[in-house]
Amino acid sequence: MGALEGKTAFVTGGCGGIGAAICSRFEREGADVIAADISDNGGAGSFRQFDVTDEAGIINTFEELARNWDKLDILVNAAGIEIEETIENTTLEQWNRIFAINVTGMFLTSKYALPLLRKASGSPGGASVINFGSYDGYIADPGLAAYCATKGAVHALTKAMACDHGPEGIRVNAICPGYVDTPMLQSFFEGEGSGGDGQTLEALQQAVRDVHPMRTYGKPEDIANLVNWLASDEARYAAGQLWVIDGGLSAQVQQMKL
Amino acid sequence: MELSGKTALVTGGRQGIGRTIVETFVDHGAVVHTCGRDAKTPSLPKGGHWHQTDVARVDDVAQLGALLGTLDIVVNNAGIQIEKTVTDSTDDDWDTVMGANARGVFNICREFIPRMHKGGSIINIGSISGKVADPGMALYNASKAFVHGLTRSIAVDHGPDIRCNAICPGWIETGMLEAGFNLADDPKRARSDALLRHATRRFGQPEDVAAMALWLASDASSFATGQCYTLDGGLTAASPLNPGLS
Repeated sequence: MGALEGKTAFVTGGCGGIGAAICSRFEREGADVIAADISDNGGAGSFRQFDVTDEAGIINTFEELARNWDKLDILVNAAGIEIEETIENTTLEQWNRIFAINVTGMFLTSKYALPLLRKASGSPGGASVINFGSYDGYIADPGLAAYCATKGAVHALTKAMACDHGPEGIRVNAICPGYVDTPMLQSFFEGEGSGGDGQTLEALQQAVRDVHPMRTYGKPEDIANLVNWLASDEARYAAGQLWVIDGGLSAQVQQMKL
Repeated sequence: MELSGKTALVTGGRQGIGRTIVETFVDHGAVVHTCGRDAKTPSLPKGGHWHQTDVARVDDVAQLGALLGTLDIVVNNAGIQIEKTVTDSTDDDWDTVMGANARGVFNICREFIPRMHKGGSIINIGSISGKVADPGMALYNASKAFVHGLTRSIAVDHGPDIRCNAICPGWIETGMLEAGFNLADDPKRARSDALLRHATRRFGQPEDVAAMALWLASDASSFATGQCYTLDGGLTAASPLNPGLS
């Protein structure tokens, strides 16, 4: 029997690199999964077109969901974008857009999911909300200013939600991944912000692997493993925490070439 | 002057950061006692006094306490660095590093907290290495994390009479740093690579640490306690993975 048998799950960004791996894992663990995203990737879970910046659409979605599901056990807020710029080169439009998706989208989705989440609060592990922060919410990668700021906001929002809704039987945690092999990471490598000037993509990737104590960067499945645990009843005492998972990257100081 | 009429003890003041803190405190009006394992008295500025004390030894510290009487400011600066992993570290290495960096700070605090005036300030020299790991420095990293934990405990247990904070320096230009670069295959390249990892594009100077120690010692910081303040030119604000430098 799977760890999530009998549970329902709603995953925003469910067709993205990490989101798709989460939906696939949830499905294998026996959950009824909705992959909510802008466009369908044909992956696991039943696809629902979902825009985290559209409040009316979010309200509609959860009203409709309430007619089909008697409770929502798991909400994963994984929708997010990255802008590879310093603040100087970030336009106000870009800034507003990344906050609208990474922070406001999390706020709106969680807000309108609450009534259904409360109905799952009677299960042994309670309802579980899992937000996507980042190790970039703690320390900065160069040329990712707005992204770093949104992730810092997610970390604070996670603790606030955990305090406010813990007493209602809703656990709220954030996962803070480091480098994970996704389309977003490939885009970062290929962008100017990576500083990979003059290096081949493979040389840059190898250099990145070498800086990790585990000598590799993560796969989406590594992140899905932790999401799965936080979603399960085994994590019933885990709340309000920021779970860094980064192959040991941020345990160390910058690695000088000595 | 900020420290007029105050008496301070700065451990390990013969050289480097400790020495600069001694000079700064004297310049700002304090009477400053400093100590180290050397019997030979180093040249100190007027107003500075040398004592031969091994902070790792309880008897030495008790003697120093009896000799100095009451104090306003204590700076636990004395420390030793051994560059080894856990499996390479010997029992002697443990005694050396933990003796000075952990036991020493404990010894000094236990002896001098009862001897400090109300409003007194303890300043421990921690390290960024107590927050994130420097490779191959296992015991040193752990000893500095001990310092950070002890700092919070003292602030909680001995407030409101005494304040206790730690300064966590990054790379400070002392003889120790230069020796590190000289071990590199290409010392010049090592230095420029390290500089690029600092948002300030410079390393710290002992004066930078002394300036913060002065503030923490003075009454200007009277609401600051229980904190571990990082002073590292932005080094640890950036990801360990600085791809542009890979």
